[in-house]
Amino acid sequence: MRATLAYASLRRHPMRTLLAVLGLAIAAALLIDMVMLATGMRASFRSLLTSQGYELRVTPRGTLPFDTEATVGSAAALVASLRAHPDIDRVSPSLGSTVQVQRVDRARSAFVLGTQPDVQGEYTVIAGRAPVGTDTLMREVIVNATLLTSLAASVGDTISVTTGRSAQLRIAGVPARVLIVGEGRFLYVPPGLPAFSAPLVAVQTFLGDAGRDRISLAMASVRADTTSASANAERTEAVRQWIEQTHARVTAISTETAIVQVEERLAYFRQLAFILGALSLVIGVLLVTTLVSLSVNERLGELAVLRAIGVPRVGVLQQIMLEGFILGIAGVTLGLGLGLITAQWLNAILRDFPGLPADLDFFVWSAEAAWKSLAMLLIASTVAGAIPAWRASQMRVAQALREEAIG
Amino acid sequence: MLISPSTQCAVHRTTLAAVATSILLMSASVAVHAQQTVGAVIGTPVAPLVPGRIAPAIRGIAIDERIAADHDVAVGDTMRVSSEAGTAGEAVIVRAVVRRGADPSEVARSEFRIRLHLDHLQRLTGSDDRVDRFAVAVRPEAGAAGVDSLLARINHVAFGFRAHASAAVAVESSRTFQVVDRFHRAIGGITIVASAIFLLCILLLKVEERRRAIAALRLAGLSRRTVALSVIAEAAVVAVVGSVVGAGLGWVVTVGVNAYYQRVFRTPLTFAILTPRIALFAVTLSLLLGISAGALAAWRLVRTHPLVLLGR
Repeated sequence: MRATLAYASLRRHPMRTLLAVLGLAIAAALLIDMVMLATGMRASFRSLLTSQGYELRVTPRGTLPFDTEATVGSAAALVASLRAHPDIDRVSPSLGSTVQVQRVDRARSAFVLGTQPDVQGEYTVIAGRAPVGTDTLMREVIVNATLLTSLAASVGDTISVTTGRSAQLRIAGVPARVLIVGEGRFLYVPPGLPAFSAPLVAVQTFLGDAGRDRISLAMASVRADTTSASANAERTEAVRQWIEQTHARVTAISTETAIVQVEERLAYFRQLAFILGALSLVIGVLLVTTLVSLSVNERLGELAVLRAIGVPRVGVLQQIMLEGFILGIAGVTLGLGLGLITAQWLNAILRDFPGLPADLDFFVWSAEAAWKSLAMLLIASTVAGAIPAWRASQMRVAQALREEAIG
Repeated sequence: MLISPSTQCAVHRTTLAAVATSILLMSASVAVHAQQTVGAVIGTPVAPLVPGRIAPAIRGIAIDERIAADHDVAVGDTMRVSSEAGTAGEAVIVRAVVRRGADPSEVARSEFRIRLHLDHLQRLTGSDDRVDRFAVAVRPEAGAAGVDSLLARINHVAFGFRAHASAAVAVESSRTFQVVDRFHRAIGGITIVASAIFLLCILLLKVEERRRAIAALRLAGLSRRTVALSVIAEAAVVAVVGSVVGAGLGWVVTVGVNAYYQRVFRTPLTFAILTPRIALFAVTLSLLLGISAGALAAWRLVRTHPLVLLGR
C-alpha cells in the first residue's frame, strides 16, 4: 500500500521524477567509475605482474624494472646464485637495449630484449614460435606487431639489426641478419614501441661491452608454501631479503612493493577518484534531499489528510522514505549501465599514458566494489529523505489542514 | 645544453669532518644528468660549476634538492659517485644544490638527480667522447623558417643522430599531461551534464513551489510574458551568484591542490590554474544553463491556467 502510494506520488510529476532519476544516474555512474578507477589500477597491475608466475623482480639497485638503462654485471654468477637458493623455483634473466633495425629501405630504432626462451616471462607467442638457440650469434627473433607494421614485415622475413652508428667515423655497427620466427605480445612494453626478443646470450654478445655478462632484470619464482597464504608471503619476503643481503648491487622487488611503487606514481588518479566519488555521493544525497523536501512541502495538506484518517506517523515516514528509495533504485540501475559505458571511454583516454604496458587498464570492473558503492548511494539516497520525512510525520494535523484550506 | 644518459650511479655521502671514518651513510641509485650550465642554484656553492674550469683533484658536483633534503647533504659535503651500485666509485664534493625545473614529463618520477661536468660523467661511465643529445640555439633573426631550414640541413647530412625542433620535443615530453588534460575534460563534461540536470531539477521544483503566488499574479493581470521573464531572471541571478561562489570555491581548491601536489611530487609545477578566461567560461555556461532551466520551468508554469495552478 505504502509502496503504491509512493510510486503514485512519483508518477504524478513525471518530469520532476525523470530529472531526479537522471541526476541520480549520473551521480551513480560517476561513483561507479571512480570506484573502478580506484581499485582497477591495482587489480590490473597485479594481474599483469603475476600473469607469468614470477613473484620477485631483481633489478639494478634502486631502480624499477626497465625504468632506466642500468644493467647488472656478472650476471651469470648472479643468476646461478639465485637458482641455487632452495626456495627459488625458476629464474628468468633478461637484458634490454635500443638497437637499429632495417628491412629493405625501412629503418628505425627498436627495443631488443634478450631472454632465455625456456623460462622467459616477457612475452606470449601470437604467431609462429619463440626464437631458440644457445650460441652467441643472433639468428632468430620474435617481434611485436608495432615493429612488424613499421617495417612492413611478416613472420618468415629477414631483417638486419645493428647496435648503433658512429657519427664521427661515419660507420654503422656490423649488422646481424636475423629471421623473424614469430610474432609476440610483449607484456610490459608500451603500445607503439617497436620491440623484439632474441636469446639472451646472443643479445649480450651482440651488444658488445655494454651487454657482456650483463642483465637488466631477473624475475624469480618462489616455490609455493602450500600451508597458507601468509606462510607463502613470508617465504617470498624471506627470499627477497636474502637476495638484497647477499647481492649489494641489486634491489629485489616483490609484487606488493612493485604495486605500491607504481601506485605512488599514479597516486593522483586514486586521489581524484576518491574526491570525485565522494562528490558524486554528496550530489546524490543533496538531490534526493532537495527533491523530497520540496515534494513534502508541496504535499503537506495531503499528508495531513492521511494522518487525519488514521495513518500513523511511522506510516507517513515510511512512505516518504520509500519515494527516496524508489528514486535511488531507478537512478542506480540506470547509472550502472551509464557508468560501464563511460568507464570504457575514460579507460581509452588513460591508456594513452606514455610508457605504460599495453595490457594495463585503469578502469576494471569489480563486482564487489561496484555493488558496495551502489548500495552506499542507494542507502544514502534513502536516508536523504529521512529528514523531510521526519518533519512531515511530526506536523500538527489540524494546523496543516487549516493552512491547506485557507491556501 | 642538456645531456641525459640515464646512467646509474651509486652515491655515497660522507661529511668533510668524517671522510675516513663515516662512509656509506647513504646508498641510492640516481639517474645522472650532466649539464654545462646550472639552472637555479640555491645555497652558496664554494666553487660553482663553471664550464671550462680546470678540473681539480676532487671534482665538484651539483645535487638536487631531493638528495639534500632526504639525506641531509649540504654544499661542501663529500660524496662517492660510481657508475654501478656496489662499487667504490670516486669521491666528489657537493658544490651546489640545484632546484629542479617544472618538467611535466618527470613529475611522477621520484628519482634523485646529480649534475656533473660532461667530461667527468664521460670518464665515470666510460662513455669516451659521447653525448646523448645537445641543444643548438638559433640566432633570433633566423625565425621559424630558419629553424626549419637548419633542421632540414642537419638531418640531410646527419649520420647516427637526428635534429628535432624544441617545440616537437616539448610536445612529446608533455604527453603525460596531455592525457591528464583529456581525462579532465571528459570528467568536466560529465560534471557539466550532472550540474545542468541538478540545476533544472531545483529550478523546476522552486518554481512549482510558488505556483499559487504565480497564479495570483496571473489573475491580477500580469501577462504570461512578464511572469515568464521574472522566472527566467530569477534563474539567471541564482545561476550567476552560484557560479561566482563556485569560482571562488574553485580558486580556494586550486590553491589547496597546488600546495598538496607540489609537496607530494616535490615540484614547482602548477597543477591547477583558475584564469579569468576559465572563470568567465564557468559563469557564462552557468548563466546559459540557468536561463535554459528557468525558461523550461516558466514555460511549464505559464501554459497552465491560473485556476488550475490554484487547485480549483
